[in-house]
Amino acid sequence: MQAIKVEHLSKTFRVKRKEKGMKGSIKAILHPQTEEIRAVKDVSFVVEEGEVLAFIGPNGAGKSTTIKMLTGILYPDGGCAKVLGMDPTKKRRQLAYGIGTVFGQKEQLWTHLTPYDNFRFFGAIYDLSEKETEIRIDELSNRFGLGDFINTPVRNLSLGQRIRCEIVASLLHRPKVLFLDEPTIGLDPVVKETVRELIRQMNREEHTTIFLTSHDVGDIEKLCRRIIIVNDGQIVLDDSVEHLKHHYPDHSLEEIITEIYKAKELTAVG
Amino acid sequence: MRKYRVIYKSVLMENLQYAANVAMGFFSYFVFIYIFVKLWEYMYRMPGERIAGYTKEQMIWYVMMTEMIWFGSNVASVANEVAGDIRSGDIAYRINKPYHYTLYILTKYTGEWSIRLPMYAVFAAVIGMVMVGPLPKFGLREVPVMALCVILGLTINAVFKLCISLFSFWIEDTTPFQWLYDKVILVVGTIFPIEIFPEILQPLFKLTPIYTVCYGPAKLIVDFSPEKCVEILAAQLLYLVGGCGVMLLVYRKGVKKLYVNGG
Repeated sequence: MQAIKVEHLSKTFRVKRKEKGMKGSIKAILHPQTEEIRAVKDVSFVVEEGEVLAFIGPNGAGKSTTIKMLTGILYPDGGCAKVLGMDPTKKRRQLAYGIGTVFGQKEQLWTHLTPYDNFRFFGAIYDLSEKETEIRIDELSNRFGLGDFINTPVRNLSLGQRIRCEIVASLLHRPKVLFLDEPTIGLDPVVKETVRELIRQMNREEHTTIFLTSHDVGDIEKLCRRIIIVNDGQIVLDDSVEHLKHHYPDHSLEEIITEIYKAKELTAVG
Repeated sequence: MRKYRVIYKSVLMENLQYAANVAMGFFSYFVFIYIFVKLWEYMYRMPGERIAGYTKEQMIWYVMMTEMIWFGSNVASVANEVAGDIRSGDIAYRINKPYHYTLYILTKYTGEWSIRLPMYAVFAAVIGMVMVGPLPKFGLREVPVMALCVILGLTINAVFKLCISLFSFWIEDTTPFQWLYDKVILVVGTIFPIEIFPEILQPLFKLTPIYTVCYGPAKLIVDFSPEKCVEILAAQLLYLVGGCGVMLLVYRKGVKKLYVNGG
């Protein structure tokens, strides 16, 4: 079954432009100028249920814009997307029950509350009963090893502990699709490895579809079976990790991706 | 409704940690009230004199009540937080949850004033009793309906401020509009009752949020009458329904125009 289906998806932003200096600032008031930036151009792909997909590309390639369209945050200008059979822009709230999101650079937890209180909050937001929420908190707390700090306010947690809590918060309602936008950014290698193992375990045990964007090749290598590379809003490669490794037998995945980036004249991976 | 109850409870838990900070604002409130007590004591020279139909005690209690509403509901969620969320793009991480963003913000705001306002109410009652004495016609039986009127006033205020904030979807900065709205409420709405203004202006003020946000609740507290109560509650309900309609429309149109930095 298809978890995500994207057909000819496009998104254009209108961005203000200003000439340099004071003269430019005054001119921008009198004659405001805008420029159209096509962030996503005619992108099509399918992600099967239970698949772990890396959606990568250089900064400004259109990765986050695509994720935001798939989660119903941004409205596409053209094409269509279906996530779990739903149009994200038309059924955003209904879709929210079926998806989870983790944005490594943004906090969704309430920092003055403890992780436990946060999880109770998210349980209620996703309409889980109190009993269900407690069971799920216990289950995920054990799996993600939160026991030592589950009652410590989030603002006092380390980055690694916080990210683990963020992932647990996004998994409470058993989402069928999990969007991970740079989930391991800023983490030390040991914590990164822990987070990857937990994501892998979750995919294995709960059959969750994972849509991952990351500049960390380690994330891709350890988690993903398929890679889509985007640049300038377009897909430039869609292939399996296994197939890529088969074609470049003496190279690491990082070297392979760098080669592809160079061949496609993309800027270097973050 | 359970999710909004939990949002409310979470905000209460979060803000209870800062209850002591709220008390810091009592000083400003006290200075403000002290100045007005002295001003009205000077204006009311004859015992039993009335100005615009208010006795000295009613006039001072009126200011204390409107200022209590102002200080007790002066929180950032409906103004700065929403506009900031839209400008920074953080709204993207709030609207992808299964709740309505505007109701989420209104619930947060309610949780915030639920701690501040009762603290200011107790403080206002204490300094009012000490500096002015009890209100002559105040009846405890009417307290629930007065409380309802205050809550409706606060909610209407939040809806209007939220509407202004939501214009951040189109314009860079809504701060000047928030400032203007706040100053109109503060200067015209909280310091003097509507009856003190020229008669020609009074119907005009009754059409503004001043009537439902400040004047109505304070008027009922200082000079309760069943007729006035029905009139004010009816106006508040009309304002609330109309305001919510505008808010939802602006949100629905605005969210389609959302542009988020970095996608």
